[in-house]
Amino acid sequence: MGVHAKPTGDAEVTTVSKSSPDGQLGSEMTGETVPYGEALIEVEGLKKYFSQSGGLLPGISLDTNQFPPISVGEERVQAVDDVSFDIRRGETLGLVGESGCGKSTLGRTILRLLEPTAGTISFKGEDLATLSGEDLRTKRSEIQMIFQDPQASLDPRLTVGQIIEEPMRAHGMLDDEGREARAKDLLEKAGLDPHHYNRYPHAFSGGQRQRVNLARALSVNPDFIVCDEPVSALDVSIQAQVLNTMERLQDEFGLTYLFIAHDLSVIRHISDRVAVMYLGNIVELAEKEELFENPQHPYTKALLDSIPVPDPRETGARGVLEGEVPSPVDPPSGCRFRTRCPRLIAPEAYDWDGEEWKRTRSFMRAVKRRTFEPMPAAEIRAEFFGGALPQGEPGRIVEEAIEFIATDHEAGTQTSGQAKAVTDEAGTERDGPTVDWEQATDRLLEAFAERSICARERPAYEIESAHGTGTHFTACHLHR
Amino acid sequence: MSSRSDPLLRVENLKTQFFTDAGTVRAVDGISFEVYEGEIVGLVGESGAGKSVASMSLLRLVDSPGQIVDGEITYKGETIFGLEEGPDGDLREREDMLTNEEVRTRIRGNEIAVIFQDPMESLNPVFTVGSQLREFIELNRDLSSDEARREAVDMLREVGIPDPAERYEEYPHQFSGGMRQRVLIAMALACEPNLIIADEPTTALDVTVEGQIIDLVDDLQAKYGTSFIWVTHDMGVVAEICDRVNVMYLGEIVEQAPVDELFYDTKHPYTEALLNSMPRPDRTVAELDPIRGVMPEAINPPAGCRFHPRCPDAREACKRIHPENREVARADGQPHRAACIKHDVFGDEYEESVPLEGRAQETAASATDGGESEESGVESRSQSGNGSGSTRKTDGRRGGDDRE
Repeated sequence: MGVHAKPTGDAEVTTVSKSSPDGQLGSEMTGETVPYGEALIEVEGLKKYFSQSGGLLPGISLDTNQFPPISVGEERVQAVDDVSFDIRRGETLGLVGESGCGKSTLGRTILRLLEPTAGTISFKGEDLATLSGEDLRTKRSEIQMIFQDPQASLDPRLTVGQIIEEPMRAHGMLDDEGREARAKDLLEKAGLDPHHYNRYPHAFSGGQRQRVNLARALSVNPDFIVCDEPVSALDVSIQAQVLNTMERLQDEFGLTYLFIAHDLSVIRHISDRVAVMYLGNIVELAEKEELFENPQHPYTKALLDSIPVPDPRETGARGVLEGEVPSPVDPPSGCRFRTRCPRLIAPEAYDWDGEEWKRTRSFMRAVKRRTFEPMPAAEIRAEFFGGALPQGEPGRIVEEAIEFIATDHEAGTQTSGQAKAVTDEAGTERDGPTVDWEQATDRLLEAFAERSICARERPAYEIESAHGTGTHFTACHLHR
Repeated sequence: MSSRSDPLLRVENLKTQFFTDAGTVRAVDGISFEVYEGEIVGLVGESGAGKSVASMSLLRLVDSPGQIVDGEITYKGETIFGLEEGPDGDLREREDMLTNEEVRTRIRGNEIAVIFQDPMESLNPVFTVGSQLREFIELNRDLSSDEARREAVDMLREVGIPDPAERYEEYPHQFSGGMRQRVLIAMALACEPNLIIADEPTTALDVTVEGQIIDLVDDLQAKYGTSFIWVTHDMGVVAEICDRVNVMYLGEIVEQAPVDELFYDTKHPYTEALLNSMPRPDRTVAELDPIRGVMPEAINPPAGCRFHPRCPDAREACKRIHPENREVARADGQPHRAACIKHDVFGDEYEESVPLEGRAQETAASATDGGESEESGVESRSQSGNGSGSTRKTDGRRGGDDRE
């Protein structure tokens, strides 16, 4: 790999134009070539919000816990929020994250298949975000996409030949004969038999269909291809074949890939640099070796720790991450990962000592997620704090919270009437004093989580790489 | 695990076939394995290997046009499936085989439970999660509605669902994928079965959630001593959780070994090739070494060893001999079985046989420059139109031809 280090870039381009029957094809991209290793695409402050405008009464939300219970106003899903990065010519940028983190939305927004809410996408110096109409259509010959489902992205009524020629026809490239020759040429380059030109997609296996997709994407001679989970629908052995072909084509055509995947093993294999996304933000971006060997963001670490390694002698931690991804409609302030972060920074407002913050943090999370059963106050203290509450102010706050959820506190001292009503309504089968999780949670979050720097400021730091020479971006206040 | 009593489940020569217009699909073709108490047995393979059909056959959950046509499934001494030769020479079901009714009431759920891949499809969207769980417990354990409800809430708590009393009343769509999978695990565990068949239970989940679920299963398994049959295609999950592994290829078990031996003393070329074709999360692999071609269809499997058309070690004899799964080594008193004639226990036919035509050169080429040979393959072919170098590259064409 390390394609952009190759000095023979131009030579390859020439080869392509030679192999294609018409010179105009290969030359199309050489006019405004970005040198290898320079930024081909620069994304700056890109945002994509979706409004939830579906349904019978769009924009109206119902919440019985507040007054008035009906509110008018648009809730917006912040799928991609303020993302900046660049992709260099000839490289593969891996984009990895869990489902719902916004990685596909980001890919589609870059291609302008989705309308960006804000931000710029500069492709060879031209802002794609502001292009429209014919200009955008023409530009699309330089940027292509490969989708996850090889079956769904091929029209079953067209032969693979027609499928591959379609983009060329749309962009007015070549004549009929030229297109056919080029389609056959591309079929062969993608690892298929050119004699299958007249076959229909159903006659091909999943891996072969993905090769047809590759050939189609290449037909208009693009510089840049967004690959959205291109191999995740394929079996392991087929996956390797397609990945190898993709790498070969990248070398041959001087392609730049944005490779979106959830599978860290695939990302590690194919990428030059890797960006990790969480809940609409890029939390870490570094060269591959650096990111996998020296991860700095707690989310990246958790992600790497949870992958099952195909080695039975490897007995590392796994499932280290608690809880679930919050809703992108109302994401946490500051660092979006802070609600699950195992290294949430202690609020500076208080003096902490040794284990105190760690214990308080896990108690706070346990209360918020209600992972334990209500029990007497002494038992809570023993279980979460080893009997000794933190000193000073934090200790008092914790004590208050314990009062709310302890089963032996004197009824009525802390709980308000409203709180009682709530618990009764929930109809828990317990006898004895009421337990008010919500108040306890609010008290703890307000006093601790909201006061941490993680909640107040959005992190963005650049640090030195331990592997390689590239920059290492990490969105974590631990590096402040 | 060293001293072994009788296995909990014994499967012998199980064959499940689907009778379709296009012909008979031999989805499972004579597999044998055992599951002992308290162990997690992996059933691993690519799609189409027959692992799901195999696991569903164990509960006689194969629907028409599929049918179990041969073999014996014994669970705790009871015959879930068994055939015998009748007086007229035809195979018929044995006397002691459990009736459908008995399998339904006694075995499924109570003794052997299943966790499916897609939790949304296993839960009914119009009933609350709690009521589905309660109904299941009520029916299988003869509890009153109130008791069952209490039990259901306890189970939800047991599988790590926060605030179970509240979430009992919610509908499946209000649960995330990981939470739904936890509900299914709760359901499977509710009747304290001795064996749980988990069919790709974490495949649809994100990696961090997958980690949580694997942890949960580990904890619960330690607590209840339940045995598992874990069906998966992911070697990472296998390494993580399984005690013993069965590798399936085209309806057959080609290798059967304790997990450590499978990874460190691999005996079958398919397993080997599978491990080599995987990108790794824990180290950077410069070149992937893919398995040539695609898995043929089970409707017309290749003669001889079924893997021979894709096998890098294949020789002439492999086209003729169809090896059964034989013990080729022992590890800690446990057998390591493989169905490959290159091992001594199969005699010396392999040694005396010549490598398949073109195969030797080709493997040599791919061994030296790996994926690069793909590229050179294109060129050599476009120039000369032949050569072994191109065979490897045109895997696509081979697959296509198979269909003709």
